[in-house]
Amino acid sequence: MKNALILAGLLVITSLAVFGQGYPTQPADALVFPVGVAGTVYEDMELGVRGGTITIANIEDPKGWNDMTAHETSTTYFTQRQHRGLVNLDHISGAIVPDLAKSWEISDDSLVITFHLREGLKWSDGEPITADDVVFTYNDLLLNLDVDTNGRDGQLLPDDTYPVCEKVDTYTVKFTMSVIFRPALNSLSFSILPKHKLAQYVHKLNPEVPVGTFNEAWTLDTPLTELVGNGPYIVTDYQPNVSVTMTRNPYYYGYDPAGTQLPYYDTHISAIVTNQDVSMLKFRNGETDVYALRPEDIAILLPEGASKGFHVLITDQPGYGTTWFLINQDVGLAEGVDNEKREVYRNVKFREAMAHCIDKETMIQNVLNGLGGPQWSPVSVPSPFYAGRDYYGGPITENNAVIFEYDPAKAAGLLDEIGVIDADGDGYRDLPSGAPLAMEINTNDNTTRVASCLILVDDWQAVGLNVTFQVVDFNTLVDRLFGSSGDLIYLGLTGGDEPNSGANVYNSCGSLHAYRYSACDEPDEIDTRVDELLGIGANTFDLDEAFAAYVEYQQLLSAQLGYIYTVVQSFQYAYYDYVGNAFKASPISTPGGNNGLLMELCFDKRLL
Amino acid sequence: MLTYILRRTLYMLPLLLVVSLISFTLIKIMPGDYLTSARLNPQVTEETLQAQIERFGLDRSFIVQYGLWLKNIIRYGDFGTSFDTKMPVYRALFLGNKLQWTVFIAFSTLVLSYLFAIPIGIYSATHQYKPSDHIVTFLGFLGLSIPNFFFALVLLWILVVIFKVGDHGLTVGGVMDLHFYGEAMSWSKFTNILWHLWPVWVVIGTSNMAGLIRLMRGNLLDTLSLPYVKTARAKGLTERVVIYKHAVRNAVNPLVTILGLTLPGLVSGSVVVAIVLNLPTVGRSYFAALQRQDEPVIMAGLLFFSLFLLIGNVLADFLLAWVDPRIRYD
Repeated sequence: MKNALILAGLLVITSLAVFGQGYPTQPADALVFPVGVAGTVYEDMELGVRGGTITIANIEDPKGWNDMTAHETSTTYFTQRQHRGLVNLDHISGAIVPDLAKSWEISDDSLVITFHLREGLKWSDGEPITADDVVFTYNDLLLNLDVDTNGRDGQLLPDDTYPVCEKVDTYTVKFTMSVIFRPALNSLSFSILPKHKLAQYVHKLNPEVPVGTFNEAWTLDTPLTELVGNGPYIVTDYQPNVSVTMTRNPYYYGYDPAGTQLPYYDTHISAIVTNQDVSMLKFRNGETDVYALRPEDIAILLPEGASKGFHVLITDQPGYGTTWFLINQDVGLAEGVDNEKREVYRNVKFREAMAHCIDKETMIQNVLNGLGGPQWSPVSVPSPFYAGRDYYGGPITENNAVIFEYDPAKAAGLLDEIGVIDADGDGYRDLPSGAPLAMEINTNDNTTRVASCLILVDDWQAVGLNVTFQVVDFNTLVDRLFGSSGDLIYLGLTGGDEPNSGANVYNSCGSLHAYRYSACDEPDEIDTRVDELLGIGANTFDLDEAFAAYVEYQQLLSAQLGYIYTVVQSFQYAYYDYVGNAFKASPISTPGGNNGLLMELCFDKRLL
Repeated sequence: MLTYILRRTLYMLPLLLVVSLISFTLIKIMPGDYLTSARLNPQVTEETLQAQIERFGLDRSFIVQYGLWLKNIIRYGDFGTSFDTKMPVYRALFLGNKLQWTVFIAFSTLVLSYLFAIPIGIYSATHQYKPSDHIVTFLGFLGLSIPNFFFALVLLWILVVIFKVGDHGLTVGGVMDLHFYGEAMSWSKFTNILWHLWPVWVVIGTSNMAGLIRLMRGNLLDTLSLPYVKTARAKGLTERVVIYKHAVRNAVNPLVTILGLTLPGLVSGSVVVAIVLNLPTVGRSYFAALQRQDEPVIMAGLLFFSLFLLIGNVLADFLLAWVDPRIRYD
């Protein structure tokens, strides 16, 4: 840690030379985090002091410094600390809150969203941040087909058009939509990039550079002094396979109520540690200050915490991801085989029987070391739209949950009812015609998934279902998912706060509607209603109305058992006691990556 | 010798061509491609995926893709651009000081392995079936049978948990403490590097050494039973002269020959150790490219490892000529 402090000192001196001096006084439009303010979600946090270095471990090297072309969290972890958007998700409540924009208004017809930018703000190199940067980022980068970005898809409206972005004045921009689309507000959280640094790489603005030049801008090869951002930190040093060092942006506009400019830590170092066991050893050795632990680490870290001065935060807060298995209801459809098997798979009672065999409690205890919970909904549990809440953003009560309790006897009864019985006395149930019913579940080489599959197979075999288990290569698994081949697949998907981001999965014509692609051509009543509800939820800015639509949507999908959800790991975190405000770590604080800290507000208590 | 090296290099070209063709075929046979994981992202549309497929040329036939790759190398010396990092592949592979660290770690480990293995092998052979020979043999087999990544992990665990090196301000893994990167060489930096490198030498070196010790011991025992050694002894030469001047010089030849295979093995075979010990090596870039199916980097990495094989073989030939005067290449 002593060495880290020396490094921090050196970097601060260097950064002053590169960045400039920062704001002389707190800007009038600064973003103030209500740290310690009663009645806010930040009330139990402490005011900190500036200085010091925080060191964490990241699993992979970043792939570049260009937020627009970044495709994975190993990169966005850094770019999203370097760049901020008009709005952001509140790190604690998950609600959409102002960021670079101080406010916004929605027109009466709900088709125009007007953003008012904070005035007098500057990029890290001292250039002013204006509406031109927003328009440039949206029109010249995000909607530019020459730019290789996944972000464009998030902007697409239901009628296949994009919002039109226009500058109103220096600090005002408006987005006009052809249809009402509430998730647009969420989508408009994209990072704003500096026009004065990046316009030169865009062919449509600078015809002297070839088409696609922007895609190769701000790579790992770029001199780091070129990087300019508006977020709390700017990357100032990169040692491949070793570490990324970020230094405070002197022009970041976040402040605490005492008028201290954020972030508190001067320097944020990410050590690149690919092996998770080594990552834990480095935390235990005091080389990293915080550690996002795995369930299997608890037994080692808990007894050590008191003597070593660190705390293990055990929460029951689930993460955003979903874990499920699917029963391929189109099995053999393309080849014209397995007709009877397909008919059985399409029978909801068969899928209910399969669901009643899932011993989620055993899965949580044995696979997640007791640190997890059951999952039933297609919407991530932390989302304010999660149907386990009674109202938008309310506490989780699970009053609306659709639960298929672990009940092998009920499962056996359902199977008997649809004629899936052991006709030949070999100990395994057969198809109604008497033909054998043999199934295989596949997952990739992931210890948690493999262990879950083994429990599932045991439970299914206990009711006489002949299910075997096979681990396959991840890419093969994905090919099977998209090719709609195979019987049962166990996998997971990333999630988020906005249910509409799952439209590609649950819409009957979605490219990830993997449990029954044929639903696009032959939707049943539930498919049709789910498509309608997705539309209702997205086409209103009335959050209560959207919530009601999404509750029905979640209940229908859960009862339909397309994707059959299993268990989700809860959020655990370990941090040394001297890291102030680390106790507020949560899965929501992870928009840009694998670290659950609210980094701007963490500080070194030893400096107090 | 120069003509020989030139000839060997030229022979390598068609070999590299065959290696590249086989590698390209294997990459294409593998299920999925670079965009497989993007397909699992619910927020990426089919149109975007299609645009990326076209951008990366993944929609072209195998022959066309290979032909273009080869043409760009021959005509422009262009080995391609990494799908992942958007950088030229040589930058993606060698970014920072990876090449220097890779070469340094490989050569230093090689030298240390030979420096220790040869005397231990001689000792073991000259003390055949004595307790000390049994101990060396046991340790040799132990070194051969423990997987390197596991040994590395155990070593780090011992340092952190048993010796609690963190309490003394010492870090584990990597090649030096983070704050020394970019600093000029100093005594404290030098000692810090030594502190970080000894586990690397122990883990990679011992597994390599174990085989070499066994080989040296076996060769020397064979040589010691040859008639010319008996003649030397009959002439009244001291045992030291018989062993070191006559027997060892012949027994060491196979060790020099396998040096050609050992060197590329140290570079490519220590990838997992590099991950566990956090070493900034080319192998890690290559491993990351393999995981993400970043084809241009995988191809360039394979050529790089083939080049190391060539260098290792030429070096072995050179050393063989040096230790055995009977061998001449001209």
